[in-house]
Amino acid sequence: MLRNINLAKIATSLLVKYAIPLTAVAILISTIPDWQIRTHWSTLFIFTVLTIFGTFAPVSTLNARLTINNAVIFAGILLFGIWVAVWAAFIEQLFMVFLFRHSFKKFLYNSGQILLTLWVVGKLNLLATELDIPWMIGDTLLILVYWFMNTGLVAIGITHFFQVKLVDTFKNMIKAGAGTYLVLMMIGSVGARLVAEYGSLALIPLVAIVFTLSNIFRQYYDSLNKLHQKVEEVKSFNHRFLTTMAASIDARDRYTSGHSMRVAHWGREIAKDIGLPAEKVEEIYVGGILHDIGKIGIEDEILNKKGRLTPEEYDKIKQHTVIGYEIIMQAGMFKELLPAIRSHHERIDGKGYPDGLVGDEIPLMAKILAISDSFDAMVADRPYRKGLPVEEALNEIRRGAGTQFDKVLAGHFIEIVERLPRKELESIISQETQSKKQLQEAIH
Amino acid sequence: MLLDVILISFAIAYLRGGRLRSIPTFNHIVFLVISILLQVMAVWFNGIAGIFISVAYIAMICFFYANREHEDIRIFMIGWFLNALVIWLNKGRMPIDLEQAKKLPFSVEPLINGSDFKHSILNDDTLLPFLGDIIHMPFVIPRIISIGDLFIMLGAFLLVQRITNKPISLIRLREGKNYVAKH
Repeated sequence: MLRNINLAKIATSLLVKYAIPLTAVAILISTIPDWQIRTHWSTLFIFTVLTIFGTFAPVSTLNARLTINNAVIFAGILLFGIWVAVWAAFIEQLFMVFLFRHSFKKFLYNSGQILLTLWVVGKLNLLATELDIPWMIGDTLLILVYWFMNTGLVAIGITHFFQVKLVDTFKNMIKAGAGTYLVLMMIGSVGARLVAEYGSLALIPLVAIVFTLSNIFRQYYDSLNKLHQKVEEVKSFNHRFLTTMAASIDARDRYTSGHSMRVAHWGREIAKDIGLPAEKVEEIYVGGILHDIGKIGIEDEILNKKGRLTPEEYDKIKQHTVIGYEIIMQAGMFKELLPAIRSHHERIDGKGYPDGLVGDEIPLMAKILAISDSFDAMVADRPYRKGLPVEEALNEIRRGAGTQFDKVLAGHFIEIVERLPRKELESIISQETQSKKQLQEAIH
Repeated sequence: MLLDVILISFAIAYLRGGRLRSIPTFNHIVFLVISILLQVMAVWFNGIAGIFISVAYIAMICFFYANREHEDIRIFMIGWFLNALVIWLNKGRMPIDLEQAKKLPFSVEPLINGSDFKHSILNDDTLLPFLGDIIHMPFVIPRIISIGDLFIMLGAFLLVQRITNKPISLIRLREGKNYVAKH
C-alpha cells in the first residue's frame, strides 16, 4: 500500500516537474512556424487584444475566480486552429510571469497544462470537422473535454504543490465554479460561430454579454458573501450567548464553577470519537453547555446547602431536568437539545430520573452527556472536598457501564481520557471557564 | 513617440477625475539616460547603429527592472521585451513590413536604401517576423506598430492613470476586486 502511494507521488512529481513543462516547450516551438505566416499576423494582433481583455476580466463565483481567457482560447481553436489558441495562452502566461510573482515551477506547470489542454482539444476539433459532426454537438463535447482536462490538470498541480488530496481538490474545484466555467466556454463557442458567420462586428454583443454577466455574477456573489458574513456573525453571537448562559448557570451553583463547559467539552470529545458528523458534534457541545439550565429554577438554599440533602430537597434538585426542559421548550430555540436536557440523569437500567427510561429509550445525546456529567462531578474539586483521582473516576465509570452508563460509550470515554497526556487532562479538569471570568468581570 | 497615446491617457484620466499631483520618482534613472543617449548616437553611427540600439534596449530593460515594483512598469517590460527580442535577433533593427509602411504618409525611401537607422525591411530571412512592426495604426498619429507596442501603450496608459492619482491595477482587476485601490 505504502509503495503504491509512493509510486503515485513519484509519478505526479515527474509529470508536474518535467513532462508537462517539456510538452509545453514542444507545443510552443512547433507552433512558431504557424505564427510566421504573413496572413496570420492580423489574427495574432486581434487575439493579443482579446487576451489582454480576457486575462483581466474575471468572473467571480463564491469561492473561485475564473477569467474569460479560456473562452478566448477556445474560440481561437474553433475559428482558426491550435496556433491562435497557443498564442493567446502564451500572451496570458507572459502577463503571469511579468505581472504576478508566482514561483517559476508553478508558472512552468501552469503554462504546460493549458497548452496541453488546448492542443488535445484542437486535435479533437480537427477530428470532429473531419467526421462532419455538427458544431452544436461537437463544441459541447469539446467544451467538456477542455473543462475536464483543464480542471483535472490544475487539480494535479495543486495536489503536488500544496500536498493535498487529489479527489478533494477536484471535487472542490467542481463545486466552486464548474457551472460558471462551462457557461463562459459556451459563450466562447457560440461567439466563435457568430464571428465566423457575421465577421468581427459580432464581437460587440459578445463583449457586452460577458461584461454584463460578470457584473451580475459579482452582484450576486457579493450579496451571497454578505449573507455568509451575517450567518457567521449570528453564529458567533449565539456562541457567546451560550457561553454566557452556561456561566450564569454555573455562577448560581458555587460548587460547580466551569462544570457546564467541561461537560460540553467531554461530550464533544465522545461525539467526535464515535464518528458523529460535525453538526451533531456541535449540537452535543451546546447540549453540554445547557444541560443544567434547569438549576436556575432551584432555590439557592438547596443548591448551596452544605452537608447532606433531605429526600425532599433531593427530589427538588431532581426537578432541574424537567425545569430546564420546559425553559428551552418555551424559548422555542435549541429544540434539538430538549432530550439532552431532560434525560441526562437517566440510567441504562431504568433507575434514573425524571422518566425512568431504559436502555435505548434514552437519546444518544443524553447518554453521552450522562457520562461526561458524572465524570466531571467526580473529578472536579469542590470547596468542601477534593475531587477523586482520575483513575478512580474512570473505575467508577467502568463499574457503571451497562447499568448506569451505556457500555460502548463508556468504553470510548475511558479510552479518550487515557489517551490524553497527563498535563492536558489536568488542565481541562482544573480549568475555570473563561466565560465565568468574563461574567464576573462584567458584574463587578 | 507615444505622444498621442499619452495625451489620450491624460484626457481619460482627467475625465475620471484624476489630477496630476506629483511627478513620480524612479530608481536608477541613469539607465534611462544611457538608453536615450545610445539611441540618439545611433543616428550618427549608422554603420554600427544596430549595436547601439541593441545595447540601448538592454539599458532600458535594466531601467524597467530597477523600477519593477510598479505594476505599469512591468507591463512596459513585457512590451519592451517582445520588441527587444525581435530587434536583437535581427541585428539591432526593427523589421518593418513594407506593405504596411507604404500606407503611411511618409516616404519609405530611407527604409529601402538602408539609411533608416532603426528599422529594416521585413523579409523571408527575418526571425520572429510576427513580433516586428506589422500592424498599420491609422490614428491618431499614423504609424506601424508591433505587438510589443500594444503592451507599451497599455503600460503608458496605466502609468498616466497612476501619476494622476487614479490608478487602475490589472492585478486587482484579475482578482475581481475594485479596480481602484482604496486609500
